[in-house]
Amino acid sequence: MENILSVRNLSTYFYMDEGVVAAVDDVSFDLAPREVLGIVGETGSGKSVTVKSIMRLIKFPGKIAGGEIIYKGQDILKLDEKDMYKIRGKEISMVFQDPMTSLNPLYTIGDQLIETIIQHQKVSKEEAFKRAVEMLSLVQIPEPEKRMRSYPFEFSGGMRQRVVIAIALSCNPSILIADEPTTALDVTIQAQILDLMKSLQQKLGTAMIFITHDLGVIASMAHRIIVMYGGKQMEMGSANDVFYNPTHPYTHMLLRSIPRIDRKIDRLEPIPGQPPRMIDIPKVCPFLPRCPRNVDECNQRIPDFVEVSPGHFVRCFNPVGGGK
Amino acid sequence: MTEILLSVKNLKKYFPVKQGFLIKRVVAEIKAVDDVSFEIKKGKTFALVGESGCGKTTVARTVLRLTDPTAGEIFFEGSEISKLRYKELLPFRRKMQIVFQDPMSSLNPRMTVGQIVTEPMLFHKVAKTKNEAYERAKKLMEMVGLKTFHLDRYPHQFSGGQRQRIAIARAIAIEPEFLILDEPTSSLDVSVQAQIINLFLDFQQQFRFSYLFISHNLGLVRFISHDVGIMYLGKIVEMGETDGVFEEPLHPYSKALLSATPIPDPEVERARQRIILRGGVPSPISRPSGCFFNPRCPFKMQVCEKEYPEFRQVSQNRWVACHLVK
Repeated sequence: MENILSVRNLSTYFYMDEGVVAAVDDVSFDLAPREVLGIVGETGSGKSVTVKSIMRLIKFPGKIAGGEIIYKGQDILKLDEKDMYKIRGKEISMVFQDPMTSLNPLYTIGDQLIETIIQHQKVSKEEAFKRAVEMLSLVQIPEPEKRMRSYPFEFSGGMRQRVVIAIALSCNPSILIADEPTTALDVTIQAQILDLMKSLQQKLGTAMIFITHDLGVIASMAHRIIVMYGGKQMEMGSANDVFYNPTHPYTHMLLRSIPRIDRKIDRLEPIPGQPPRMIDIPKVCPFLPRCPRNVDECNQRIPDFVEVSPGHFVRCFNPVGGGK
Repeated sequence: MTEILLSVKNLKKYFPVKQGFLIKRVVAEIKAVDDVSFEIKKGKTFALVGESGCGKTTVARTVLRLTDPTAGEIFFEGSEISKLRYKELLPFRRKMQIVFQDPMSSLNPRMTVGQIVTEPMLFHKVAKTKNEAYERAKKLMEMVGLKTFHLDRYPHQFSGGQRQRIAIARAIAIEPEFLILDEPTSSLDVSVQAQIINLFLDFQQQFRFSYLFISHNLGLVRFISHDVGIMYLGKIVEMGETDGVFEEPLHPYSKALLSATPIPDPEVERARQRIILRGGVPSPISRPSGCFFNPRCPFKMQVCEKEYPEFRQVSQNRWVACHLVK
């Protein structure tokens, strides 16, 4: 199957007064049609900047320093802003973490939906209104026609996130990017939204990039997973590869440091140390200072991202289990 | 017989809702905590869990008397403290401490770490002189995994996890018996969370601390707590031994809450049948009649719309408020 999106050696740097932050460094991955690709990582690991680069939403002092983002055969990093306009929101759309700030408080839900639809599709206002109501019922908002006239503040957090999803899907995009879409929500509401996203994804066949720091959420959503740390991909593979055969020491340790509700454990095994400060970091593995498996070579250069088994990649000189 | 350190009986905390421009009238009440009772055993951890707005933090603040209860009793080592005046309360305050959620805002940015950690010792006269306090502070820094030279630095020079360690050092500086941990790791990264949680466990073993652990992270609650209370709209709906509640929840809300929590295990997740609740948590100002959970409950009966179920003991270690549970 042909990939719908290919990211090649993407690097996005932020040029700060204090130095250069390599927020995303040499990231490469493919997205297949109908696939849900999860990106998991901690604060500052570069997962959000990766998808913002795909949307070309990086602002000063940030800059996409290199790489290619091939969408349907063309490198969208080479497009001018006018052409990018046709892709952003129509072909590739995005759901952000905080539904309080991603909706405009001064306009009704209906206005915001209709605006997006008219912006990207040649339809009349009546047509757009009809489509907007359809979208609201698709995301299971009761009495959609009446709710078109409501303002964001009249909705709860979960309902707002439904509206944001409706807007994101209103132009029938081929890729939906969801950046921590449920982090701001309570767990019972999170379950509703994840359930909704999963069923819509299956129904519409949209390919999805799903970002989260929650390993439980990623386990329930993603077919394939990228683990990021310090701006770099540490590991990439199927959900089963990453969870049952974690090969990078970071992934391995991360999975042992989290408690779960269905098991009684006596002791968590924490990862020692702190996540890296990202300014002007040396050209070695960012996990090196915290890694118990480090070898001499780790101090010299960054390991390559190698395929240890079909589709399972890892960036490490001394992978867990020898990389098998 | 296990000793009871803290016992809370029928605790209520109502906040008035005022309206009007010049003359403010009380138009409604938010029953943030409504008739909550629980006990914390000495050397053990009691967890309060629930979604935002369920009243768990208000319980904590009321227990510490950071806010005064509307009604109810709080017994600390057998003494009733809910009506004590400031001066009478001081000896008890020395035995209770709290670690807040956000270490960015709970540490004074204009004080050095040394000042932050020694202040409670000097205030409660645990240390007689500044020098003595400072010497103790050095030991505390090592206990929480920091270095003694860190005492001369300011909070902004530390990462989130390190700041939470400072907050812990401050809390244990006066050798309390009881610590309230209000979402102590929810602002930290996952890889750092386990470090802090293990620190709490070590201290509990070493010093027999009792904890009131407040969290919405059910995985952590299962791991750290011995007993648990699940709150919904100001009331505890189910309470009991943690393992029992997690393995066999009885209240439909507890079931839904556990079912909604994703497990970091793809195969388990694929096989799971989730209970998806309808709607959101109703406003605490106008709670539903009868059982507050009835509009979202998949097992609702007629009686549930009329009466709030009694919170009663159903087995040796379990209390539930539900008409369904016999």
